[in-house]
Amino acid sequence: MTAFPARSAAVEGLACCHVCYKLAPEAIHSCPRCGSALHLRAPDSLQRTLALLITASILYIPANLLPIMTTEQLGRSIDSTILGGVILLIDMGSYPVAAVIFIASVLIPIGKLFMMFWLCWGVHQNHMTSQRQRTSLYRITEFIGRWSMVDVFVVTVLVVLIQLGGVIRIDSGPAAIAFGALVIVTMLAAESFDPRLIWDARGDRDG
Amino acid sequence: MADATPEVSKRRGIPRIWLVPIIALLLGIWMVYWTWHNQGPEITITLANAEGIEAGKTKIKTRSVAVGLVESVRLGEDLESVIVTARLDPVAANLLREDTQFWVVRVRVGLGGVSGLGTLLSGGYIELDPGEGAPGRRHFEGLKDVPVTPGGTPGLKFTLLSEEAGALSVGNPILYNGFQVGRVESTDFDVESQHIHHRAFIDAPYDALVTSTTRFWNASGISFNATADGIELRTGSLQTMLIGGVAFGLPDDVKAGQPVEDGINFELHPDRKSINDQPYEHYVEYVVAFSQSVRGLRPGAPVEYRGLPSGRVERLMLEELAAESGEEGEGRPIPILVRLEPGRLPFGDTSEGAARLKRSIEKGIQNGFRATLETGNLLTGSLFISLDIYPDEEAAEQGTFAGRPTIPTIASGIDSIAKKVTQLLDKLNELRLEEVTDSADVTLQELTVAITELRALVSSHGVQSLPNSIESSLDELDRTLNSVRALADALEHQPNSLIFSREPTPDPEPRATHP
Repeated sequence: MTAFPARSAAVEGLACCHVCYKLAPEAIHSCPRCGSALHLRAPDSLQRTLALLITASILYIPANLLPIMTTEQLGRSIDSTILGGVILLIDMGSYPVAAVIFIASVLIPIGKLFMMFWLCWGVHQNHMTSQRQRTSLYRITEFIGRWSMVDVFVVTVLVVLIQLGGVIRIDSGPAAIAFGALVIVTMLAAESFDPRLIWDARGDRDG
Repeated sequence: MADATPEVSKRRGIPRIWLVPIIALLLGIWMVYWTWHNQGPEITITLANAEGIEAGKTKIKTRSVAVGLVESVRLGEDLESVIVTARLDPVAANLLREDTQFWVVRVRVGLGGVSGLGTLLSGGYIELDPGEGAPGRRHFEGLKDVPVTPGGTPGLKFTLLSEEAGALSVGNPILYNGFQVGRVESTDFDVESQHIHHRAFIDAPYDALVTSTTRFWNASGISFNATADGIELRTGSLQTMLIGGVAFGLPDDVKAGQPVEDGINFELHPDRKSINDQPYEHYVEYVVAFSQSVRGLRPGAPVEYRGLPSGRVERLMLEELAAESGEEGEGRPIPILVRLEPGRLPFGDTSEGAARLKRSIEKGIQNGFRATLETGNLLTGSLFISLDIYPDEEAAEQGTFAGRPTIPTIASGIDSIAKKVTQLLDKLNELRLEEVTDSADVTLQELTVAITELRALVSSHGVQSLPNSIESSLDELDRTLNSVRALADALEHQPNSLIFSREPTPDPEPRATHP
């Protein structure tokens, strides 16, 4: 972190305000326009990202083990987990819906977690190769993160729509909370990651 | 500046953001612990089949409250049973006791009624009937049949033992004076004791009617009984006639006993009459041996002393007879085991009364106390044993047979008459009737000859003229008699005429003219 790329604002001691994006000397410690604290780089960015990623990993366990949805049909109640729901949908022949749920609820959260871990690891190791790929990976991560909530949306819509008293009713299970928290925490992790760190590894070389 | 930066980062230490994963981890651990700590006991139930049971869906209920869930259903190791693993709620752990029972509730339609209709929509469930025994049991055998009474119903649970199944089945009513107070819950056959076990239940408050002296009998169907007392026909209500039932009451002249507890065993008597057979606790066993036919003498036949019921026939002691006599048993009298109950006679139903009865019989045998086999019912030919004192009998000693005292017997009644008739017939048989008839034939022929000769004699001239000569003789006799009469008259008037002549002497004349 000590070395910044040559011809970067950081070398000049200029920091960008986190709130209003005004470029100001870091030495004055607070933004002359909005008064918020000035940092050359987001403080403890890696630590925050890692901590949130680990939290998300912990949340991923109950999100998959606990039932996300309880269907009560004619007095029989059926608990279904995320993967169980996907398998049920495949059995029913609804392959497109199964694919959407599988991608949104299983592939994207896991993929995002692994990508973030890889980014953090790369920054930590000051890898200088494939920085462009990393940047685009970061962009993909930010883009797909918002779609992770699809499963939660599905459950929410079903719970609201299907409430026919004794005949059939659907309730959300504890995994829905864990899954929602998982998505939020991964988004926060992506948010707290300072992408400039990817390029800091270039040192004094011109980008 | 370059020196100061590391100092700044050192001062700040570990960023507070690490609290987030730590809190998440702690929450996770706490949830795992909480789930583990709060999960109820896991139990296994062995069932005959898993019809209507689904893992993760079938509930375990008690009093219609769900207390657990079936987690897995698998075949038993013997491949002939199903082992259901279920997780109970922690609050239900206390329901698992030594005699807790499980059964599968399904729709059940029987003569006794319809039950389990609720399972038509929701599917079957496993009912838990909390027991009373020591807690801690985890492996259970599911019941094959559904107990008719829900667990925890106040009342009396007991077992009826019978030697034949009769018409009793699950759900049959238990009646008291014709009013239903309970029902039969299950029927099992115990191979070891060769008895049928009927588990039965009587609802409160009628359970107070059952005491230690209560007798139960089978009130099923129609009972037709021909005994020494005559022919008896009994029927229960239409319901018991159709589906069977159990009635209970006290034997005649017996008072209600002590209250009873759950789990007591009662004997199931075959009919109302048989409950009176053994109302007495104390008895004395005797052996009576008869040389005559015992056809018609059945176990349970009465033993009477001068017409008073005083006991009953227990059984024929044929095995003992064979054991005692060995191969020389032919023609020996048949020993019969009888029970005399001092309670029926004025000795009292106590062991002291039994001893008094024994002494009294011992003394009586010296004075002609004997047992006889009598016919009770000429129509059915059933016999009973009569005890009486026959003073003409010679004094006899009381013996023992197979360890039991004996009472000497005499033949009597029909049997003695039959014997006399037999003797008469035997004597008749012994008569040489053919010889008698032969000699009678000869006599008759001689008689015929004699008669013929007599006839010839009668028709001979001499005999024919006999009347005339008899007539003349009679005339002669008549005349003779007349003269005899004249003589008698003369003698009467003049007795001396016998000596003096009959010449009348002239009357003396006066001598006036004569000088």
